[in-house]
Amino acid sequence: MDQSARKFFIFLSLIILLLSAIHFTGDYRSRYTFAEDLLLAGLSPVQGFFSQVGWRTYRFFEVIMDHNRLIEEKKMLQKELAARDNLHYQLVELQKENYRLREMLDFKERVSYELLPAQVIARDPSQWFETITINKGYADGVEKDMAIVTSEGLVGNVAKVSRHSSQVLLLTDSRRAVSALIQRTREPGAVGIVEGFPEEKGYLRMVNIPPEANLQPGDTVISAGLGGVFPKGLIIGHLLETGPDQYGLLQQATIRPVVDFNRLEEVFIVIELMPGRQSDNEDEMP
Amino acid sequence: MKELDNKNTLSPYLIVFLLSLLILVIEGSLLGVIFTRFNMPDLLLVLVTCLAFLWGEKKGIVLGLLTGLLQDLFFGPALGFFALAKMVVAYLAGITAREVYKDQLAGPMLVVFMATFVHEFIIFFLRLIFWGSSGDLFYLMDVLFLPKAVYHLMLTIPIYSLLYHFDQKGYFFSK
Repeated sequence: MDQSARKFFIFLSLIILLLSAIHFTGDYRSRYTFAEDLLLAGLSPVQGFFSQVGWRTYRFFEVIMDHNRLIEEKKMLQKELAARDNLHYQLVELQKENYRLREMLDFKERVSYELLPAQVIARDPSQWFETITINKGYADGVEKDMAIVTSEGLVGNVAKVSRHSSQVLLLTDSRRAVSALIQRTREPGAVGIVEGFPEEKGYLRMVNIPPEANLQPGDTVISAGLGGVFPKGLIIGHLLETGPDQYGLLQQATIRPVVDFNRLEEVFIVIELMPGRQSDNEDEMP
Repeated sequence: MKELDNKNTLSPYLIVFLLSLLILVIEGSLLGVIFTRFNMPDLLLVLVTCLAFLWGEKKGIVLGLLTGLLQDLFFGPALGFFALAKMVVAYLAGITAREVYKDQLAGPMLVVFMATFVHEFIIFFLRLIFWGSSGDLFYLMDVLFLPKAVYHLMLTIPIYSLLYHFDQKGYFFSK
């Protein structure tokens, strides 16, 4: 075998080896190896530092470029805050009433959740995968498939966990799908699948919706909680337009997500609590 | 791979390794925050293609594997994903360099432009094979492949000039 043929043979063998590596380390792997863990743990604070520098730079230019808009936005938010305060008191009253009634009816406790805050320290720069990296790992109690949310709504779920950081698969990644329903109707039979929309960056698509489902533009879409990964009732987005799918048998819709996936700085990891073990906030409730 | 046994050849790979780490950290965090709404250039791809063009396909394979595995570790969906794409690109860039003058910029610019398409096509097909969907190819060529290739073409001018200068001075491998 001459030298160039030998080189080509080695090259082909490496391709086969790498294809096998992709197959075996793909979706089945939830943890990293010890060496990978060590490298990621060492670099996670560096990523966090550069991410903070990036955010400070972004905000500095945002203040300069959008000065007038920010003043208007501040006035609007102050008014909105006053209105929300009023709503908050009403909700607290309703929640207290709900607790009392549940106790009277001897309802079983619902599964409750604890939110662990995390900082976004990196984002996949290749544009092929919609993933972010957060600065919490298995040392903080994070596990694969835990849901990730912001105060606006659902972000995605944990795909891989290292000691001090985790990779999160965003809702906009076309490799994932979430069962969802319409909040207004909450029809149990009208569950659709929400997935990434590669042709419309930043939007989501809801498919496989039964033809009889009552859909209206502006409807809020929430997670149905069927897959066992996402808890039920987390807001995903609002319907933009609806119509029949390509075969004309089912309906599909375009969704504008409530979360701006391009501007994720801080998120919360949803840690499910066993019934009977309530979070600190709930303990304060009467 | 006789060169790898030579103790002088250890430092160039270490330099590329550290440079790749720095690029990945900055691309994913700092630049990722500032340029979220725009296509980001793949600096690692430009670096690997330029170095493979200068050093040949044998060293190119090692470089592609090394930097690709690092990218897989940080952002890849599986180990080997970016490593495969970068290794193939580096191998092809190394082979092409045999027929092209290395002291003129037109050669590496054209190679990096073509390498971007090959790299993105490989990722497209790997996604298709392993995850069943990759999006519309013509749409992606329009919004992803072509803008990236143009960015890379322009970035090749400073990056290759710098690498060529260091290579000629013997900073990587003693001449």
